[in-house]
Amino acid sequence: MLPLDKHPGLIYVVATLLPLASFVILLIAGGVRQYLRPRKQESSLAGTLYTLLGGDAPGKTAAYVATAAIGLAFLCAVYGFVKFNSEAHHLSHEIKHLKEAIVELKHEAEHEGDKFEAKLKAKQGELAEKEGRWSGRVNWVVILPGGLNDNKHGTALQVGFYIDQLSAVMFAMVTFIATLIHLFSIGYMSEELHQPVADHEVHTAHGHLHRRGRFGRFFLFLSLFCFSMLNLIIADNLFQVFVSWELVGICSFLLIGFYYERTSASNAANKAFITNRVGDAGFIIGLLIVWTYVGTLNFQEVFARIRCPDKAFSAARGEHGKVVSLEYAGLIVRANPQGSKSANEGDMVSILKPDESIRADTRVIIFPREPDGHFEGVGPQSRAEVKEIDVFERPRPDQYSSMPYWLLVAAGLGIFLGCVGKSAQFPLHVWLPDAMEGPTPVSALIHAATMVAAGVYLVGRCFPLFTPEAQLVIAYTGAITLTVAASIAVVMTDIKKVLAYSTVSQLGYMMLALGVGGWVAGLFHLITHAFFKALLFLGSGSVIYGCHHQQDMLKMGGLYPKMKITAITMLTGVLAIGGIPLFSGYYSKDAIMADALGFFMVYKQHFLLFFLPLITAGITAFYMSRMWFLTFTGKPRDAHVHEHAHESPWIMTVPLIILAFFSVSIAWGPEEVALENTLHHAMPHAVMADFGVEPLVDSVIVRTPDGSKRRELTWSGGKTKPLSENSRHLAHEYHDLAGTMALGMGLAGILLAALLYYFRVLDPADSKEQFPGVYRLLASKWYFDELYSAILVRPALAVANWFRAFDTNVIDGVVDSTALATVKTSFWSGRFDNGIIDGLVNLTASVCFAIGAWLRRFQTGYIRSYILFLVLAAVAIWVIMSFLFGTGAPAAGH
Amino acid sequence: MVEFDLILMSAVIFLPTLFALGLLFFPPGKDELMRWWSLLGTAVTMVASLFLFIDYLAMLDVQPDFTAARPHEKTTLLARAEKEANRPLENPRAGRELVVRYPWIARFNIEYYLGVDGISMPLIILTTLLSFLAMLASWKIERHVRGYCMLFLLLETGMLGTFMALDFFLFYIFWEVMLLPMYFLIGVWGGPRREYAAIKFFIYTLLGSVFILIALLGFYFTDVQDVAGTRVYKDAKDDKGKLTRVQYDRKVEAIMLSMSPQEKQAIVKRKGDVRAEAEKRVVMNTFDLMTLAKAGRVAMKKIEGTLTAADLPGLEAAGKNEAKKEAVRKRLDDQIFFQPAWQLAFFLLLFVGFAIKVPVFPFHTWLPDAHVEAPTPISMILAGVLLKLGGYGILRIAYPICPWAAYTLAWYLALFGIINILYGAFAAMAQKDFKKLVAYSSVSHMGYVILGIAVWSAGGSQYWAYGMNGAMYQMLAHGISSAGMFFLVGVIYDRAHHRNLDNFRGLNEPMPVYGGISAIIFFAALGLPGLCGFVGEFMVVLATWNFSPAAFPNGGKVLAVLAALTVVITAAYILWTIQRVYFGVNDTYKDYPDMDRRELICAIPLVILAVVMGIAPDLIFKWMEPHVTGLVDFLVR
Repeated sequence: MLPLDKHPGLIYVVATLLPLASFVILLIAGGVRQYLRPRKQESSLAGTLYTLLGGDAPGKTAAYVATAAIGLAFLCAVYGFVKFNSEAHHLSHEIKHLKEAIVELKHEAEHEGDKFEAKLKAKQGELAEKEGRWSGRVNWVVILPGGLNDNKHGTALQVGFYIDQLSAVMFAMVTFIATLIHLFSIGYMSEELHQPVADHEVHTAHGHLHRRGRFGRFFLFLSLFCFSMLNLIIADNLFQVFVSWELVGICSFLLIGFYYERTSASNAANKAFITNRVGDAGFIIGLLIVWTYVGTLNFQEVFARIRCPDKAFSAARGEHGKVVSLEYAGLIVRANPQGSKSANEGDMVSILKPDESIRADTRVIIFPREPDGHFEGVGPQSRAEVKEIDVFERPRPDQYSSMPYWLLVAAGLGIFLGCVGKSAQFPLHVWLPDAMEGPTPVSALIHAATMVAAGVYLVGRCFPLFTPEAQLVIAYTGAITLTVAASIAVVMTDIKKVLAYSTVSQLGYMMLALGVGGWVAGLFHLITHAFFKALLFLGSGSVIYGCHHQQDMLKMGGLYPKMKITAITMLTGVLAIGGIPLFSGYYSKDAIMADALGFFMVYKQHFLLFFLPLITAGITAFYMSRMWFLTFTGKPRDAHVHEHAHESPWIMTVPLIILAFFSVSIAWGPEEVALENTLHHAMPHAVMADFGVEPLVDSVIVRTPDGSKRRELTWSGGKTKPLSENSRHLAHEYHDLAGTMALGMGLAGILLAALLYYFRVLDPADSKEQFPGVYRLLASKWYFDELYSAILVRPALAVANWFRAFDTNVIDGVVDSTALATVKTSFWSGRFDNGIIDGLVNLTASVCFAIGAWLRRFQTGYIRSYILFLVLAAVAIWVIMSFLFGTGAPAAGH
Repeated sequence: MVEFDLILMSAVIFLPTLFALGLLFFPPGKDELMRWWSLLGTAVTMVASLFLFIDYLAMLDVQPDFTAARPHEKTTLLARAEKEANRPLENPRAGRELVVRYPWIARFNIEYYLGVDGISMPLIILTTLLSFLAMLASWKIERHVRGYCMLFLLLETGMLGTFMALDFFLFYIFWEVMLLPMYFLIGVWGGPRREYAAIKFFIYTLLGSVFILIALLGFYFTDVQDVAGTRVYKDAKDDKGKLTRVQYDRKVEAIMLSMSPQEKQAIVKRKGDVRAEAEKRVVMNTFDLMTLAKAGRVAMKKIEGTLTAADLPGLEAAGKNEAKKEAVRKRLDDQIFFQPAWQLAFFLLLFVGFAIKVPVFPFHTWLPDAHVEAPTPISMILAGVLLKLGGYGILRIAYPICPWAAYTLAWYLALFGIINILYGAFAAMAQKDFKKLVAYSSVSHMGYVILGIAVWSAGGSQYWAYGMNGAMYQMLAHGISSAGMFFLVGVIYDRAHHRNLDNFRGLNEPMPVYGGISAIIFFAALGLPGLCGFVGEFMVVLATWNFSPAAFPNGGKVLAVLAALTVVITAAYILWTIQRVYFGVNDTYKDYPDMDRRELICAIPLVILAVVMGIAPDLIFKWMEPHVTGLVDFLVR
């Protein structure tokens, strides 16, 4: 049915569409059922259909549909993962060589004519076939400017998929955890099956709220979320990511607001979406910049154009060409304009050395999509002082062009702002703790394991887009976030809030890692964290379920005997996040610490990027152990809660056990298939270029002067930094040191928590009293909500009210008073008409009448008096005429 | 065959009028029957418009598969209008151009002149669809049903005629035909302050019409003989009583005939040529929008000093005859139409005239009042179609006829666009009345239309094409989402009899279907990807970023950042509304019935369109884009 042998990647598209199908089915079925509910008595058909769709008690069908869909998607993901990994290595080499061969053939074809064309075509076809195995795309909107001639740059927004190790791993992780969470939800959400459901947190005039259950709706939203999230992962371009980005945002909104009768829930939902939209505004700006200057949004093409290619085809000085490695391989190449035009009407720019400082007008070279022979300027053979290159203003895929350097920085920061919103990083972290208003499985899936990790994923995906400045911002954002969030988690007493802040903090670790060049470490931690945080959230869900929706840890305590499975699985999670050896978190966090240490050793001024995460490692272990001790150990602090507490049913504990197993072991494995190494294959070259000099040995085809070809080993990227300045190398070198330090901090944290909350040697209340200011600051979450309310929300509302007032008072004031003035004018003109104009007319009439009456007196009837008047009149006329026409008399005489 | 276009296009316009007249024959009191009759009228019109659409697609030769090549520029309205003008009447037509031109008031060269292209076609379908749905939503109108239905159908005729007219005079007539029914529909069937709202709407719009009228007269008194060549000449009858076209020569002969013998002698005495003298007196006036558009381009080139013979048939016809060339140049120089100050003045007249309809800040305050007072179906039409007429007028008339002014003022127009976006969004956030909120959201969303149209800068024609296409798409999307929103407000108003946002809450529980449909429509308005509102906004912002006006090269970037930031405000007021209306608990409304069958039939097409237009915009772009881009191409070349 599907051409899976030729395009095995399509299995991922199928897997992505499965939850969408589930969504559509559930939406239509649910809509029809809701429509029929009031009409079931109207006709027998309506009644039957209503019953068929579940009737008043729809049961768990919706859950089965959704779970089946995501379960199938997981199976597809496993198939895809295995298949992909079995051929990925081989395939990537083949593609690389094909590309090189094509570059060479192109050159030949250019110089030696048609006989190479056929060969070139064949190779290109082969390449397309190979690349088509795990990627594909179609146009979504095409705007071809009819007669506009400059249509070589971006003309289409596309949708497509692209599978590499990163997306394969992410896809498998998301589908796996989502499947487990679907299963867990069948148990957790079962209260929604009751008719009616009582919501104890909402009070109405008649006591608690009673409403219809929303079991099906929960799975409806969950399906939509799964589709959006999977679409985000397989997307091969920024635009598609943005679309999915908003869709997961709206799912998050719907699920946070799932108990929408609660004001807190609907507020939290709004806050989440609106805060995310702030990030999205930045994301849009990033998209605009990339689209404008690079001319495409496809990841691979964008990166190929922004980063210097590894190799180029040199045809210097009339020799036969050869493939050469470039000095700037993988780097962003900056250049200063020289203010002159080339023969081709392009601008001449001179290339900066990697460590040269930039100017305000410094530009970035945008490379042609496929490297060709013309870019000699940065090849090793021409290390002349001035390296000139010819660039064009508008991006065309086959030309060099350039963009302002600051705009590339801005593009990176804009996209990062989107990630800041989605991954709840400082300063947009405020929504995530509030998002805990949603049902706990949602918190586990969306607000811990997958969606919030999307920000980190995208930073990883877009890494080649980030300039060093942007990378530093990413690192510092991560460092600040992880510290602030961890500090707040220490004082939280709501079990889910602790986990929420912990999530924020852990996401901060990932961002930090990416920012300091620990690409693998950051994404590695993303995966391990997804498992143990999903576990912790589901564990907390199990606790909350067992305690009948009690979330306050101060009312728990001593629950261990009552819910052993939950307690032990959660302990696994706590140890994993605390960085205890052999647990998955240990490996990933160590990797991050090592990268931070390496970075710190090179850039001493950025010491905070190492010490903040180091200290926070201790804090993390502390608050997580505190949570566990408070919940499961000690004396029960609330007899009522303790009495009714019970272990959850198997459908909830089984996912816990499975997740616990993977929280321990996900990082294990033999060298080749270990998670960390798998991810390593997907690492963009840019990471190495920016942070390291580990030479990549590569084989290339070299053409010797006598015309024959042979394969030669060569260095890919010949940068000349000493090892002591190479943070990647140092991270490798001092890995154990960093790990030991982090482990020490972690153990100290656990010990402190044990002293305070298990052995009760110290009293936590003491420290609260000793540092009231600090406690207040932390308990108030550093006053971020208050700050934003004061500087953003209230001013926005004030502006809104001004505008409304402006409309009603000023604009409508003008309009209405104009109208009033017109009415008044017409009133007065009416008066004028009646009084003056008509008055004049009437006056004239009466004057005429009066004159007539007066003249009547001359109407005597006597001929003599008439003659007298006639004579008088004639004389008078003659006199007047003679005055008027003075020359009249002589003329008459003539 | 020749008359087929005439019949079909006239049918689309006048079928509603026909049905309106039919209403006269119903006995009084048969309200239900009259509603059905009117609904049938709108349905038949919709079907007719779909026939027209199929013809249009056939003309474009769009194949159903997505990979087919795009229709080329031979199908632009200008090209087809010229072809139609040059078609010898005695010959049967080979192909159909979907352009109809017949003399109407021959003495003033006014034609019954209709045509459709990618700019008007989608709006025509939107109009007939929304009219049908709005008629369906009119079932709750109880008073004076006959009068209501008649006015409603007349309004539809007005709207459709405006979208199809290619003769400025005809356009103006339809434009005014629209105005009066609307006035009565608001003024008679509206809410408590209906009279205030109706008069405000009427006066505002009439003011705009006056501006348009002045421009129209100014255009008419422009001599376009050099621009049009000899083509626009038409006369009603020849000596055999047959329709024919009077050529330039005959016009000259007519002038020669009208000269008195003395006059001719005097000319001969001066050693002049009688014919040449007669030629000098030829004045060619027209309301033909296509010819005026060409004149507008000539004006632009003349002002910029890049006028060539290729742009001006008169100059081309003069050939190497320097005297004739000089005469042509003088004719241009003498006319105010071709002078920069007057181009600016005409453009501003037209722009303000149409901007009032859009509405553009600060001419927008009629909108909230009209919407609040108008009955639900009229609000749907008002937001869904009438506002689009403003945008359409700008695209069809203001820009092509005064391109130089549009280009010169681009930065200011874009500023108006961004002010609309921001102002509307903020003002919406402060509203307490549900309908007013939706009305202000319309102001905000129509700002994207203005912004998309405005971003014309040198060297960025491709991005401008994005902006124009985005603006067109935004008009369609807004037509769907705003009509939907007004309808949804109407649904709840019918139950609660108030629109105060603070008094709702908790409607999702008693009315889950209503809640679900509302969510989709509101999210579409919010610009959520996957729904219709996103596409246009995104493309407009994309274009805006690349807008670099001469006065302020980085201005486009600033505007784009502002437009991008508005998504936050938009999300805020829409989500806040959803929260206030659908979320929470409310005992008062807990027994409200969910949407009934009629309401669902009305809402579901809008929901489906919102989704389809969001997922597969190329379904529309494919046949809309060639002509929108064609317009851009015509203007920048």
